[in-house]
Amino acid sequence: MVPVSVLTRAGKDSGLYNILWDLRVPRVLLGWAVGSTLAISGMIFQALFRNSLASPDMLGVSTGAACGAVLYIRMGFAFSVFNVIPGLSLFAFIGALIATSAIYIAGNIRRGGMSEATLLLAGIAMSFLFASINMIMQFGSGFVDSFRMMRWSMGGLQAVGYSDLYLMFPALIGIFLIAYIRAPELNLFVCGEDIAASRGVSVNSLKRLLFVVVSLVVGVAVSICGPIGFVGLMVPHICRKLVGTDHRRLTIASAIFGGTFLVLCDTASRTFWAPTEVPVGVLTSCLGSIFFLLLLLYGKK
Amino acid sequence: MITTPYIEVKNLSLSLEGAEILKDVSFSLEKGKFLAIIGPNGAGKSSLLKCMGRLYRDFSGDISLDGRLVSLMKAKEIARKISWVHQSEPSFLSFTVREFAKMSRYPWQRSLGNETKEDVEIVDRALSVASVQHIADRELNTLSGGERQKALIAAALAQGTEILFLDEPTSFLDYKHQVETLELIKQINKEEKMTILLVTHDINLALHGADEILAIKLGKLRWKGDSNALLSNGVLESIFDTTFQSFTTEKQKFPYVAPKGMIF
Repeated sequence: MVPVSVLTRAGKDSGLYNILWDLRVPRVLLGWAVGSTLAISGMIFQALFRNSLASPDMLGVSTGAACGAVLYIRMGFAFSVFNVIPGLSLFAFIGALIATSAIYIAGNIRRGGMSEATLLLAGIAMSFLFASINMIMQFGSGFVDSFRMMRWSMGGLQAVGYSDLYLMFPALIGIFLIAYIRAPELNLFVCGEDIAASRGVSVNSLKRLLFVVVSLVVGVAVSICGPIGFVGLMVPHICRKLVGTDHRRLTIASAIFGGTFLVLCDTASRTFWAPTEVPVGVLTSCLGSIFFLLLLLYGKK
Repeated sequence: MITTPYIEVKNLSLSLEGAEILKDVSFSLEKGKFLAIIGPNGAGKSSLLKCMGRLYRDFSGDISLDGRLVSLMKAKEIARKISWVHQSEPSFLSFTVREFAKMSRYPWQRSLGNETKEDVEIVDRALSVASVQHIADRELNTLSGGERQKALIAAALAQGTEILFLDEPTSFLDYKHQVETLELIKQINKEEKMTILLVTHDINLALHGADEILAIKLGKLRWKGDSNALLSNGVLESIFDTTFQSFTTEKQKFPYVAPKGMIF
């Protein structure tokens, strides 16, 4: 048993106090915020593309962010902005922004607004482009840099202190509020674009708003933690089975379930092979792929 | 005194991806009428309806509802005037009939407002007019085509509009449900006093249901008139490019029309 004094200032001198408040608590909070954000984002994308297999991972956000991170390591940079935002995160975020803006522009150039098919195809193409740039940069890097790049691309929740939370929590609150307020429009949207439009939803501006906001918050999450796969795909799915298709209930369920799921995965990845820490992205991707296959085999047609 | 028509379309043209879909279509309609828009496949019938409901935005020409230009109206304002029954497309509609009808109250609701007592009453009434109360708690994707069509009409009624647009509402239905759906549409027109615009390629539906008929062919307004005029010499032939035969019985006001090539 851990003594209660660890929780209080009385135990301040002990190392346990510091481990708890400087490492464990921020890590759990960060994991929770990232999991919730990814799950709500996934829910929105699945509604937006009317496809239960859509997720923000598909739209090049992750590979774009990875490209930024890899470039940062390749150039040998080491700085932070105002001592709060690490340069690595900043570069990753810029990479994510470039990737999604390119897709956004590609999806908008054709007349008649954003077509889902165009967006998805542009996203996949962009992912491959960035992945190839990543490989070129990794190929030309030394052993140490190359390892750091690979390690980043596995995703992990290495929070030290609370500075990451100052970025992650506003992102979570933003995406939660938008999903919650716009839930009636999402409900209509999943029934079909014509149905939504004929009920008075401004379809094109809704699509733009959601695409931009989801890209931004996923960009923030990825730039802090690296790519953490499948949370955005899996969690909304399970929640839909639990609470139905209504997006107001679904938003709340995704937030709770997504956060809890990632914290549990992170705890498992930290303890199962202790003292070695397996990157949490590895665990979520592994569980996610199995889940995905089961869904294809046994899911409702 | 000159009164402005309830619905007026002036010089409407539409091009999509370089192809001309509608060319210089003009017509008007009085309040409370039942208008059928007929024509061969690909004539531009559905596109005409979509321009009028502003689901297509890039048209030229003027469309006005009750004296207001639709191009100046917000999506929600149009949705308070016009409700739709779209051509049925399979999608993952795991909402129940009642939930789906409630969702049609969207144009009247504030963004975080709860549904009011009035909303509940309007939805209940819509379900009863379309006689779907007995399936109100079933999911839409578990219904048969005929039941689903009635549920979609109930949802359109729940929107509380003056005008109802229907796009090929009977095309995929069996005979029993075709009859029931047409009866329901007529009832909505007569008793609920809604103005109806219905797109169909079924001549008999137009003939036996509508007050006025409009024929579109190759994007142009080809003909306008009533059921009697539609039956006069050569009209149907020129619209559909095939010959027709009519069958009359004593009781019916209008004959039943079938293409000659289908009668052996």
